[in-house]
Amino acid sequence: MKCIITIELGTNAVRVFAFDLNGNIIGSLKGYYPTFHTEPDYSEQDPDQIFLTMLYVLKNLLNDTIHSKKYKVACICFSSSMHSVLPIDKHGNPLGYAITWADNRAKKEAQSLKNSSAGRSVYKATGTPLHPMSPMMKIAWIKNNDKERYRQTSKILPLKSYIIQQLTGEYMIDYSIASATGLLNIHKIKWEPDALKFAGINANMLPDLVPVFTSAGKLKKAYQTSLGLSADTKIIVGSSDGCMAILGDGVKGEGMATITIEDSGAVRVMGGKVLQDEKQRFFNYLLTENCYVSGGPTNNGGVIFEWLTRQFGDFKNPFDIDHSMQELINDASKVPVGSDGLLFLPYLLGERAPIWNANARGVYFGLNIKHEKTHFVRATIEGILYEIFSIGKTLEEHRNIKSLSINGSFGTIPFCTQMIADIYNKPVRLRQNFQSVSFGSFLLSATEMGIYKSLDEAAKTVFLPDQYLPEKQNHKAYMKYFKIFERLSTRLAPEFEEIANLQ
Amino acid sequence: MNQFVLTQGSSEELRLFPHILELGIVKNSSIRLNAFPKTSSDGIKIFCVLEGKFEWCVDKGQYLLFPGDVALILPRQEFGSGNGVLEIGSFSWMHLNIRQNGNDEILLSAWSSLSETESSAISKILLINSSPVLSKFYEAGKILKSIQNELSGQEVGYRARINHQIDELFILMTRHLTRQTNSGRDFPKTFMNLEQALRQNLSHQWTVEEMAALVGLGTTVFNEKVKSYSGFSPINYLINIRISEAIKLLKRPDKNLTDIALDTGFYSSQHFSTTFKKLTGYTPSEFRKNHLSKK
Repeated sequence: MKCIITIELGTNAVRVFAFDLNGNIIGSLKGYYPTFHTEPDYSEQDPDQIFLTMLYVLKNLLNDTIHSKKYKVACICFSSSMHSVLPIDKHGNPLGYAITWADNRAKKEAQSLKNSSAGRSVYKATGTPLHPMSPMMKIAWIKNNDKERYRQTSKILPLKSYIIQQLTGEYMIDYSIASATGLLNIHKIKWEPDALKFAGINANMLPDLVPVFTSAGKLKKAYQTSLGLSADTKIIVGSSDGCMAILGDGVKGEGMATITIEDSGAVRVMGGKVLQDEKQRFFNYLLTENCYVSGGPTNNGGVIFEWLTRQFGDFKNPFDIDHSMQELINDASKVPVGSDGLLFLPYLLGERAPIWNANARGVYFGLNIKHEKTHFVRATIEGILYEIFSIGKTLEEHRNIKSLSINGSFGTIPFCTQMIADIYNKPVRLRQNFQSVSFGSFLLSATEMGIYKSLDEAAKTVFLPDQYLPEKQNHKAYMKYFKIFERLSTRLAPEFEEIANLQ
Repeated sequence: MNQFVLTQGSSEELRLFPHILELGIVKNSSIRLNAFPKTSSDGIKIFCVLEGKFEWCVDKGQYLLFPGDVALILPRQEFGSGNGVLEIGSFSWMHLNIRQNGNDEILLSAWSSLSETESSAISKILLINSSPVLSKFYEAGKILKSIQNELSGQEVGYRARINHQIDELFILMTRHLTRQTNSGRDFPKTFMNLEQALRQNLSHQWTVEEMAALVGLGTTVFNEKVKSYSGFSPINYLINIRISEAIKLLKRPDKNLTDIALDTGFYSSQHFSTTFKKLTGYTPSEFRKNHLSKK
């Protein structure tokens, strides 16, 4: 029996899944790796620890489940977080740690380009918002601030390329990850000269640009032996976690949007055209040629509710956050829609889409003497989801969205899913406890193997069983509050800046 | 100023307790200049504030202590008032003679009935702890008071009781310190602190008991939490860090394999080599050859 293995290199952990050829999960394991914050704006990871953790977890899964059940691994397909930057020297060794998507050190670089006319044309060409998360900005930062590292740099890799190179020796970057570097012209699928120039590198310093289906050569001998895999095991470069998540939910073509809410969140649509926004509010990433995943990211997803839980949860047992969160949600469900007029702006971590304001801060608004703890809890959840709605609403200026699918640990809490259906006034589909990113990788692998003719056909087979229908009355009530929410989010900009400067 | 002090060597009461160097209580009703200068000494000192408020220096930091707060001064740390002033108020203290081994580990000696692993875990936590002030730790003052009473009463069993109470004091201090740094609400942050402690002492032969104590959990719950959060058992996670660090050291040509093995916490180069090969597919020397040669 053949099986497909998917490896997801996420923000905090690697998740390895094994699927049979019908898409059923045979086994899965995860392995955590740390993020280092040596300076307030820094967010770095050790590429060798990530590689080692990935190997360790993969090996355990193969030994525990795959080899013992006599499965033959047909292919291994990768996905990863976007926007990471790892400079390596001429021997292929990392120059320091990798800079992750969450790193904000390149603020100045981003600001200077965003305010220029060159910036506008770079955004149009690359589709990546001009933000410190963008690898283009991070590389420019290294050039400007870490001259020795810059001088020694022979190549610049995203983390996934480093991991694949360690396994096979090939330097490759797939369209999806490449389109999130801010360096790729997404219309021509070629490196964009102006962006390369701003970053201070040439195209030879980047890995080979390849479609997501590409096989990255053979596993090195030592890994064939230690993992017990044959030489013909395909190593598929795969895509980014964002693109895989929307594919895994079966979205292909227009009319549908996918909402992902983990710690952070995003609303994404897929289509044949780049979504050009004059205000530069959206990203446009490539899944395949002429297939763009567009949308907006928020910093303030489940992480904000976790913050609330740590402050106000009862924690009957140490570190039992899941139980404490559930208790708070039970309390929140007893409070009426709209939290009796208490409104929350969730910008504790600044915000990306749609307001793109790093100085934005959290606000409880409309507080009166009758409000209780439970109102704060419900208002907090409502605020997080109003923000998710405001991204979707700006997307609807460009695209028609008829229905939604949802994934991610926070978004799939039934209380939240229903609230999203109500706020959006659209039906929402999901599969409980489901890993959309890994399933997207499965669909991509199965298409590469010829099980499906195309990604379209693969996406059509996805069935999301649970459906949440909107309540008209609730929607009406939420919209009264959302109007105020939306105005506050931009109207408070001067006060946000002043208070941020004091912090 | 009212003061009552027992001192080893001159106070008969302490004859059976060679590990207690000093035990005292002070009640000070007027500010005294140059009465409380900074000094340092061997052994561990525990100062419990009973009344008033005191501004004290421990090591290099300055702290404000209120009634119930306790200052814990480790061997050779400087302690006293920054300007030498003894402020108004009352406090009790105990100075214990504590031996340290070559690794600076604190050894609770013959008087203690703690097991070796427990006492090593306690030592680790006291040494790693960054704040010398235990806030609202009222138990310490009560224990010192009780030891004083036992010493003056000398009723049957007092020797055993006093030694038990010193153990009790160390156990409670350790637990209080871990609770002070871990609220029990934020496992990701707690795990990050643990990871940092492990990396800073990678050559130490960590036990699960020590790691669990550092986090303030029992070993069973600790194992479960780490497994569900990281996907690894605590020991396997530690091995993961060890090999990751070894990989970095192997890329530097100036270190020999035995040094790398010991620095990263393996007890022999053989142990290092087998573990490394098992996880990475290469022996350390093959790995080094692949990465040092030009491709």
